Amino acid sequence: MTQAGPLTLTPSSSLAPASGWLAQIGTFVLLAVVGLLVLPPLLYLAAAALKAGELGAVTIGSLVGLAAMTLSLATLATIWAMLLALPLAWLVIRTDLPFRNLCRWLAVIPLAIPSYIGAMSYIALLGPVGSVNTWLSALIGAPQQWVNIYGFWGGVFVLGLFTYPYIFLLVSAALEATNPSIEETARSLGESPLGVFRRVTLPMLRPSILAGGLLAFLYALSDFGSPSLLRVQVFTTAIYHQLNTRFDQAAAALLSFVLVLITIAVLAGQQMLLHRRSYVTITGTARLARPLHLGRWRWPAALLVGAVLGLSVFIPLGVLLAQTGSVGHFLEVVREQGDYIKNSLLLAGLAATLAVILGLLIAFTARHTPPRTGTLLSGTIQIGYAIPGTVLGLSLILLYNTYVPWLYGTVGVLVVAYLIRFLTQSVQGVDAAIAGINPHLEEAARSLAASPWRVLRRILAPLVRPTLFAVWALVFISAMKELDATLLLRPAGFDTLPVRVYIHTVEAEYARAAVMALLLIAFTALPWMVVTRLREKKLV
Amino acid sequence: MASAASAKIKGRIVTVVLAGVLFAFVAGLLPATADAADRLVIYSGRKEKAIKPVVDAFTKQTGIQVDLKVGKTSGLANEIRMEKARPRGDLYISTESGIVEILTKEGLLDPYQSAATKTVPEDFRSAAGTWTGISGRARIILYNKNLVPEKDVPRSIFELTNPKWKGRLAIAGTRERTTLAWATALVAIKGETFARDYLKGLHANDLKILTDNTEVWQGVGRGEFAIGLTNSPNYYLARQANLPVDVVYPDQESGGFGTPVNPNAVAVIKGTANPESARKFIDFLLSPDGQRILVTQDYEIPLIAGVNSSEVPPLQSIKRTAVTAQRLADLEEATLKLLTSLNPNW
Repeated sequence: MTQAGPLTLTPSSSLAPASGWLAQIGTFVLLAVVGLLVLPPLLYLAAAALKAGELGAVTIGSLVGLAAMTLSLATLATIWAMLLALPLAWLVIRTDLPFRNLCRWLAVIPLAIPSYIGAMSYIALLGPVGSVNTWLSALIGAPQQWVNIYGFWGGVFVLGLFTYPYIFLLVSAALEATNPSIEETARSLGESPLGVFRRVTLPMLRPSILAGGLLAFLYALSDFGSPSLLRVQVFTTAIYHQLNTRFDQAAAALLSFVLVLITIAVLAGQQMLLHRRSYVTITGTARLARPLHLGRWRWPAALLVGAVLGLSVFIPLGVLLAQTGSVGHFLEVVREQGDYIKNSLLLAGLAATLAVILGLLIAFTARHTPPRTGTLLSGTIQIGYAIPGTVLGLSLILLYNTYVPWLYGTVGVLVVAYLIRFLTQSVQGVDAAIAGINPHLEEAARSLAASPWRVLRRILAPLVRPTLFAVWALVFISAMKELDATLLLRPAGFDTLPVRVYIHTVEAEYARAAVMALLLIAFTALPWMVVTRLREKKLV
Repeated sequence: MASAASAKIKGRIVTVVLAGVLFAFVAGLLPATADAADRLVIYSGRKEKAIKPVVDAFTKQTGIQVDLKVGKTSGLANEIRMEKARPRGDLYISTESGIVEILTKEGLLDPYQSAATKTVPEDFRSAAGTWTGISGRARIILYNKNLVPEKDVPRSIFELTNPKWKGRLAIAGTRERTTLAWATALVAIKGETFARDYLKGLHANDLKILTDNTEVWQGVGRGEFAIGLTNSPNYYLARQANLPVDVVYPDQESGGFGTPVNPNAVAVIKGTANPESARKFIDFLLSPDGQRILVTQDYEIPLIAGVNSSEVPPLQSIKRTAVTAQRLADLEEATLKLLTSLNPNW
């Protein structure tokens, strides 16, 4: 690899607004597209919430209780996810940990495991009559309940286990991209490895920790599957109750609206934290740090990493495998599922591709418009992530069936739903990558009279290309797993893999559900494996 | 330099391949969006396992193609409400009568009486003629044989407030609408005061409220609970899973409360584009052929006289709680308020 260029710590700021009527029209069109995508469901929610009138069955007291429960669940799950992700990322990127490449690859797999499937695995294992209690009772000879995964702490445990890769991904990428010479300088000046981590590495990682933490937090806030299975009362489960037991769509909209408001507050808080300081260290070239020798800590560290991967990858996969029954049954089910696999891959692939294209355009535009327009643009997109899938699904039925009937009833409306929910992952990812690029590069090109389109195509796109592939895989993974909105919006006769897992689970066909879940996880992880391999071979 | 150039060429190849894959994706998408017009679209809250064989037999007999959308009964009902302006489904199959009563009130169902409808007992069909019961499920006491000795087996739901059952009882929350129907029947027959006291008694016994009926039969089967209040097919599911359970149809003595039997119902969605096919499907569902496939698949109780299932007790042998679906629908909201005032987990 080449030598690092000079380190620059220039404040990253948005560039001068793009000039020319073409660029302005482009910006306008993009704003319109994003607005038409995200705003209608939000406006519908607001209107329906207003109709709730005297709050229906929702009291202020229950709202406060729900908010407290939801926020503490999401906060603790995020902290737990950080505790899992940070040591893992640092060990994998910066030390001579055994099997570090394998570990790096495995650490992303939990993202491919939908949290509802993770929760089901842990219920089978740690439930009141789960395997662990049964084994321990048999061992002691007296039936006794040793562990119980149900409840708040079980929710925290499971959510953290299946969201930490968001933080791991961003932090390990940041660790790789940051110039190691600062850390080496600190080390050569006599700072201990721990001191270097705490006083140099950690502050540099702050933006990526915050961004990853935000993704984990928002996931926990809007997740329905795992809290519902683990019997934790949060906003999403309360919304489900209003919709499916009381048939009170107004009360459900009101609860969803409060959840969206909470999300907006969280996003505003993150913006304030991030904008205090920002760094630019990517100068077109980067080199890897010399791995730190762990010495006698090498195997204890490996044990720690093994434990994290064991809890988040091997245990859930092992439980699923154990549930599939015989090999013959496994193969028989796999043979029947061609259509569902095709449906899932098709949909998720389309959604991810559109999300990357839009994400690149939006992130680029946001940097070339007045800061307020940019914030408005990316803020609007982030809110889409917060609308619970069921509520989003229902509002899209009403809106698209009424105003865009030719799109509703086709897979197109599913793509729209996925874009609303997951576009923010793409925008955030691309934006973070662009933010890391020294603006001088772009300014130089612009001063040579290159058009914005040319700058995007010739300078930014190549530099962020690795990120684009990673972002594509991230959106693909999220879209593959989506269940709540898909259940409502899928055209009759068009089932996806998560829908099949759901149907078989509801019908208590667990062996079949387990095979489907394994298929889902395998096909979800597939593009990630491909992207990683290609990147290792420097093909993308 | 040579290696850099070849890497670049490889990069190009990768890009072309990825573009090709993307194109294949989009091309594969197109057929999924076309030709939906003259196919019958069924929204079914009934299990796929139970309804798919009937659908296949129907297609074989009539040549009418069917698109089946299986989901939660309540989720599909919300969908029908949202699609009001431009209905997309032709038929709705629900697992409970309260929902079809609500949809009837909202004017979302079309009346249709099949020739066979009149053979269905009156309390299992709509007074407005909008829906017909196709099979039934009784509320039962499910118990774990290893935890409840024969002499202690309760014969009435009202015995369950006895302190000896403390911490050993489970029921699904009102997310399972059959639970709500059960509690509403209690309010309808016994009055709100009696129902409140009874439910308080159950809570004093630490009644555990679970997410759904699957958790109930599995919890009882595995021994997490001694007794569960659930629906009759779940007893057969637990037995199929080799769990040590047995069943009681409670309160069967003369003059007793009886036990509620909930119908699965079928109805034509108002504004359907295929009313003829939709009606044909209902006729088929109520025909002896259709009924036989339906009730043998999932241990349902046949509602039409003359159709019998070998394993399930016939409808006439069960003393059922005398309450109409309309009355249940009227009392539902009040019952729900009562339940959640006693415990938010309902």
